[in-house]
Amino acid sequence: MQRQPTLLNSCARAATAAEARFRISRRDDKVPRASRIIALDERAAGVVRRLAAQRWSGGHFLTAEAVVPVNGSRGDPDDMTLRTPGGSVVLLSDELAGADVVVMIATAQTRAEAASVIGNACAARGIMSVGLVIPGAATADAVVSALRPNAMVLVVLNDEGDVPEILTALRV
Amino acid sequence: MLKQEINELLTRTGPGTPMGALFRQYWIPALLAEELPENDCPPVRVKLLSERLIAFRDTEGRYGLIDEFCAHRGVSLWFGRNEESGLRCAYHGWKYDVTGQCVEIPSEPDERQSSLCRKIKLTSYPLVKIGDVLWTYMGDPKTTPDLPQWEFARVPPEQTYTSKRWQECNWLQALEGGIDSSHVSWLHSSGLRDDPLFRGAQGNKYNLSDFKVFFEVVESDGGLFIGARRNAEEGHYYWRITPWVMPCFTMIPPRGDHPVHGHFWIPIDDENCWAYSFDYHAARPLTQQELDAMRAGHGVHNEYVPGTYRPLQNKDNDYMMDRAAQKRGETFSGVKGIAMQDASLQESMGPIVDRTKERLVSTDSGIIMARRKLWKAVEALRDAGVQPPGVNPEHHKVRSAAVVLPKDAAFIDACREDLTVRPGVRHASV
Repeated sequence: MQRQPTLLNSCARAATAAEARFRISRRDDKVPRASRIIALDERAAGVVRRLAAQRWSGGHFLTAEAVVPVNGSRGDPDDMTLRTPGGSVVLLSDELAGADVVVMIATAQTRAEAASVIGNACAARGIMSVGLVIPGAATADAVVSALRPNAMVLVVLNDEGDVPEILTALRV
Repeated sequence: MLKQEINELLTRTGPGTPMGALFRQYWIPALLAEELPENDCPPVRVKLLSERLIAFRDTEGRYGLIDEFCAHRGVSLWFGRNEESGLRCAYHGWKYDVTGQCVEIPSEPDERQSSLCRKIKLTSYPLVKIGDVLWTYMGDPKTTPDLPQWEFARVPPEQTYTSKRWQECNWLQALEGGIDSSHVSWLHSSGLRDDPLFRGAQGNKYNLSDFKVFFEVVESDGGLFIGARRNAEEGHYYWRITPWVMPCFTMIPPRGDHPVHGHFWIPIDDENCWAYSFDYHAARPLTQQELDAMRAGHGVHNEYVPGTYRPLQNKDNDYMMDRAAQKRGETFSGVKGIAMQDASLQESMGPIVDRTKERLVSTDSGIIMARRKLWKAVEALRDAGVQPPGVNPEHHKVRSAAVVLPKDAAFIDACREDLTVRPGVRHASV
């Protein structure tokens, strides 16, 4: 026999402000989201350096450098090097290990290769990837095209000031 | 995640609030034209942006939207008599015209009538019929914008249909459902197969065969275009492009030759809103079958508690949850109908959802960007008097689109013409 709701809190009428007081406010997910914010060019690197100086929930702020050639041939994309705000060099593959989300910061200066390498690496690992294209004097069509195949979300911004707010919303 | 103070900023729309000031820059739907069907018909109570008002249509067919309460003793004018070009209070016979001007105080001597009446005027707002909707502007009369140009309200009457329903939650969480394309393949999966206003389109196959949606968000003059893409035939993507025009207009991408749907979410107060839902076809009259389906509550419309605009499925009856239908796969959530599938979940979040606790993911970027644009517009208006996006009627001339494009095409470039109103030309749709 299907019973009808007996108490207020056992039916949809519990969606009141008064009943909201009884919502559990503590959270068990104490481990913060593992976020990687990667600048794809020099101008984006400036944005990322400024962002890195703010307070975040454990996000790593990085700048893409290059795929390291090996014995004169093109290297493994996973060996792309990234630079931390402190100047250390890390490998893309190491940074992606355990990452939940990768946010690529791009401008019209971004080379398509950097976007493709990181986007492909995320796709291969099933990591959610976001491309934020910040405004500039030149059109960013080429970098948008390069990001599109692999960035699960692509946002073309009119205002660089939106970047920190988007990262905050994503709990970076 | 939003800070509590920003959540408060965006959700409170009463007089004197920053978001209320923003809403008062726009022409917004106040009620359906069918609610005032003839001259001297009964007045209608209207609460908008936390202000209690009364709407009426006088002997000459003029519409009025004025303070609900008589200036004399605070009696509700809903009890009044709508007669001889004015609304007369049932208590002592004071009478007001559509501008809220007091025109008669029967108890006063005839020789003092005009001088006394001249000093008594209720707050009033303009009320204008465009399409099936009566629109009002609740801001400073000196900055009244030009009238709205939404295509659904401007096509010939036989091509459009609008309904409204009471939604028991804050306007913003209702709006956010309208720009969240990723829920469609889940919550509304049954509607894509069965609903007479959705089924049969080629695009539905793409929706139901690719659940991994990629998003692209592009800013527009009036708000945003949110593109959701899924795989189509080799070398192509299926794009569904949703325009959001500030503060609360969205249009759902079309399906085949079905009429196109959309919404306005208008704050009643901070814990209730009106969902206005429209359907129109830009190039042909709606068929009788389509109108019958809309009136029966299909598509984005709903059934009602008789004689009201309250949905038949509501929180008092657990939205008529049907677990057996859910188990059989007839509905994903157990709630029947697209409109109430959305409303049931949005109302379950509480009257004003606590956004400090949410866990947004990257596919929520459309929502994140919409909030950000609202926030910036509120601050720009408050701090510098900047007119917000979406006030200019040119911003209303947008369309949704559902198209298949080569993989290397940017939707915003490939569909620029499709995303703009072209009178008499059907929507771009598959």
